[in-house]
Amino acid sequence: MQADLGFWVLQGLNALQLSMLLFLLSVGLTVIFGLMHFVNLAHGSLYALGAYAAATAGAAIGFWGGLLVAPFAVAALGVVLYLVFIRRMRRAGPMAQVLVTFGLIFVMLDLTRIVWGAQALSAPVPALLDGRLTILGVEYPAYRLFVIALGLAIWGVLALVLGRTQIGAMIRAGVDNDSMAACMGIDVEKMFFLVFCVGCALAGLAGAVAAPLLSVTPDMGLQILIPTLIVIVIGGLGSLKGAIAGSLIYGVVQTFGAVLFPQFASILIYGLLAAVLILRPAGLFPAKG
Amino acid sequence: MSNFVKAAVAAVIASSAVAQAQAEDIKVGLLLPFSGVYAALGEEIETGFRLGLDTFGEGSGASFEIVREDSEASPPVGLAKTRKLVMQDKVDVMAGVVSSGVLGAIRDVVDGAKVPLIVANAGNDEATGEACSPWITRMSFSNQQVNRPMGKYLVDQGITKVFTIGADYAAGQQMIGAFAEAFKAAGGEIVGQEFTPFQKTQDFGPFLAKAKSSGAQAVYAFYAGGEAISFVKQYDSFGMKDALPLYGAGFLTSQLYVDAQGRAAEGVVTALHYVPTIDNEANRQFVEAFKVKAGHLPSEYAVHGYDAARALVEAVKSGATDRETLGAALQKTSFDGPRGATAIDPATNNIVQPIYVYQIVAGEGGAQTQKVLSQLPAEADPVNGCEMALIN
Amino acid sequence: MFRHTSLRFWALGLIAAAAVLRALTAEYFGVEMVAEIAILAILVIALDMVAGFGGMVSLCHGALMGAGAYAYAMLTVKVGLAPSAAFAGAIAITGAASWLIGAVCGRSHGIYFIMATLAFGQMGYSLVFEQPVFGGDDGVSGVPRIDLSLIGLDLNDPRTFAFACLFVLGLVYWFATHVLQAGLGRTLTGIMHNEQRMRALGVNVWRIKADMFGLSGMIAAAAGALAAQHVMFVSPGLLNWTVSGEALVVVILGGLGTIIGPVIGAIAFVMLKHEVSAHTDYWHLVVGLILIAVVMSRANGIFGWLEQRLSRARPSSARDVIAHQVRKDLAAQGALEDA
Repeated sequence: MQADLGFWVLQGLNALQLSMLLFLLSVGLTVIFGLMHFVNLAHGSLYALGAYAAATAGAAIGFWGGLLVAPFAVAALGVVLYLVFIRRMRRAGPMAQVLVTFGLIFVMLDLTRIVWGAQALSAPVPALLDGRLTILGVEYPAYRLFVIALGLAIWGVLALVLGRTQIGAMIRAGVDNDSMAACMGIDVEKMFFLVFCVGCALAGLAGAVAAPLLSVTPDMGLQILIPTLIVIVIGGLGSLKGAIAGSLIYGVVQTFGAVLFPQFASILIYGLLAAVLILRPAGLFPAKG
Repeated sequence: MSNFVKAAVAAVIASSAVAQAQAEDIKVGLLLPFSGVYAALGEEIETGFRLGLDTFGEGSGASFEIVREDSEASPPVGLAKTRKLVMQDKVDVMAGVVSSGVLGAIRDVVDGAKVPLIVANAGNDEATGEACSPWITRMSFSNQQVNRPMGKYLVDQGITKVFTIGADYAAGQQMIGAFAEAFKAAGGEIVGQEFTPFQKTQDFGPFLAKAKSSGAQAVYAFYAGGEAISFVKQYDSFGMKDALPLYGAGFLTSQLYVDAQGRAAEGVVTALHYVPTIDNEANRQFVEAFKVKAGHLPSEYAVHGYDAARALVEAVKSGATDRETLGAALQKTSFDGPRGATAIDPATNNIVQPIYVYQIVAGEGGAQTQKVLSQLPAEADPVNGCEMALIN
Repeated sequence: MFRHTSLRFWALGLIAAAAVLRALTAEYFGVEMVAEIAILAILVIALDMVAGFGGMVSLCHGALMGAGAYAYAMLTVKVGLAPSAAFAGAIAITGAASWLIGAVCGRSHGIYFIMATLAFGQMGYSLVFEQPVFGGDDGVSGVPRIDLSLIGLDLNDPRTFAFACLFVLGLVYWFATHVLQAGLGRTLTGIMHNEQRMRALGVNVWRIKADMFGLSGMIAAAAGALAAQHVMFVSPGLLNWTVSGEALVVVILGGLGTIIGPVIGAIAFVMLKHEVSAHTDYWHLVVGLILIAVVMSRANGIFGWLEQRLSRARPSSARDVIAHQVRKDLAAQGALEDA
């Protein structure tokens, strides 16, 4: 066991960084679910696409440009997906939705391979964030601190929008009871569309943020999908609080599990998930109630 | 249903008719992953293989027909496709195989059916050790071969305490294991060892923190593919390269990934059997021809394909025409290629080749390139329980 | 409830005849495909039993099949059991695990059920992937086939093996249809249509669900034990969740809740995969698009479409029932929690 405090700070930051990356992904997925009862398995593919868009745009106009372009590019794809698939599948039941988006995963996997090739790409870390900062006596990469800060910022903005604005109240009303919300004169369909696009944009943003950290490969979306699903199932489908709680739990268990019990890290996660499902089938912070 | 049958039957009839018309037609079954995580390697090897056939095939008097099958880097799929190549397409020789899992799965089929297989990547030690077969000739590398020399090399550099880290699967364990054994034999000490879940680890931060606090003088790593890129970038981002130099198996900073790793890879010292900057005439020709064909510099995977094709052509030139004669001829392969003097070790059917210790440095125009620090002499692997049967 | 309409009899007879003919006449790879289709068909029958007749849309059936394959491989290769005993052992072990999963997940519905089964499946995948005793990423090789030399059969011959798979498929079909027509199957379908009413009638709902899920897991294990013998090799990829997703797609492709439909789906899927992958490395793209089109079409798969065209009265589609039930559940849940 490492007695050194610095070691624990370092691992704590690692856990937080992973949590924030997962939060960016899971919040979009979970709000889309809360509102539309729609689980989009292709959410991971949107993340991969965001990474590719950021890497490509970043090569031309620099990291910050890429970071800006990726969410819009992915949201634009989200519009297409919504119009072609999602809208028609709204009333089809969870199985058909799961399967259509399952098919989309493979379609988008091959499309990225056709467009960008099978070789891994990479996006450079911007010069501004290239160094390291000392925090609590520990040297930590500035870029990772940026990821943490961005995640927290997005969380703050979303909490503010959902909790304090009119559109947020409308979304909450839609999550609670969409037919009642429609009766109150809220254009539920328009709201769905808006939320879906924002969810896609957040997935794209997560991809863009992850690109300089990881390697950009066609299957990165498949790799991140299961952790994201675990986060939203633990946290409770449909709630912002659940997404942040699930992300933090996942990040901490995964990071410290990998360090302390390397053989059992992922078994630990699944064990935790099973326990949550048995004790609280709707997750820790379900949207309703 | 019937369309498929008709097509298959037609293909078989057509190919057998051709075989009768032209006795010197060699049918090659190329088994590579063209989809899935190893698709990039499959492409690289195929390009190298086709280039090799084009370059050396002329004047062999034979024509080569390639039947390509996608192994999806999945052992069951690879096995099914191998059976198809052997029993339905009736290929004379097989080449390819990227993943060790696939090689392990198809070993008994090619050995039992007596079909020569030229391995163009998979490096698991058993394939040319206890599970060796006269029908399996490896033109790529073995896991231990690439890593063993680094044990003594590091001690010679004055490094005696090392932290090792690698992907948790057979190849990772063999690579790290071979290094650790040689390193300890030379007087070094392994102060920490970490195996990370294979293809599931994206954030190496937790493990790097462990290495940092281990008291080691250097880190020795093995990763390939996307993991290699992430690992090298994250190693650099934590600022560990100065205090704790990074060494490893050369796949870590392969030509295939070094562009994506960028400056993060600079300074990393690894060992491999091929880098595009090896200084010899055969390599210069190969690099030029490959660049024209593929538009980028060749990686070690490309040279595996290229040399596999050359070994096949040389076997045909020596008079081999069918499975049996090809198998016997392939065991005698020996030529000077891009990697220097390469030959097949008759005791194990594994390739014997020099190992190059190289460092990634900034080249002209800012792109990273490989600076060869040392050429370690070719050394045959220990026999490791291989009892090589004779062909006929 | 499952009924043997005359159309289903005809389809069954036609498929059986075509399969036997193909296994007798086809070339090597064609015969291998018969075995591959038969194994997939067994798996999707298992899945249709719970998804089509109980509304339990499972995303862990690939993992259950993989568990059967691993159990068979471990019992023969590592424990040294006789293959036939290992076959029975694999079915028993997987059946028990599957019963437990059914008992735990049976409380959740709709998307929660899908996610819960996905979690259990991935747990199994991680277990075999990361525990060295299962051979990790490299899997277990040298898996033997059952020795039937006593009755003069050599399963190492591809044609004989394909017939053995077809034989097991026939048994499984017979077994599944009987279970579904018996009390257990009828009660389960009752639960799918209206769980509250069945509960009010005094039915032990979770027990029925767990029992059916356990039986389904046993059938999936049989598919797995056959798959392990077919390639004589097992690797963790067998348990990956994408296999479960594919199985579900095959069920939809053929026709959910018809038993014979998924068998047709298996035939179509394997044929399609081989046909397309012979032409392009990007076969995932083509197959994915076709599957999306099938799921998005209103028809209940190939067989559902046939039934709709050929029979006058439109049978109630299990897909509609599930979709309807989930909306009701969600509404009920909301109402309960609002109160």
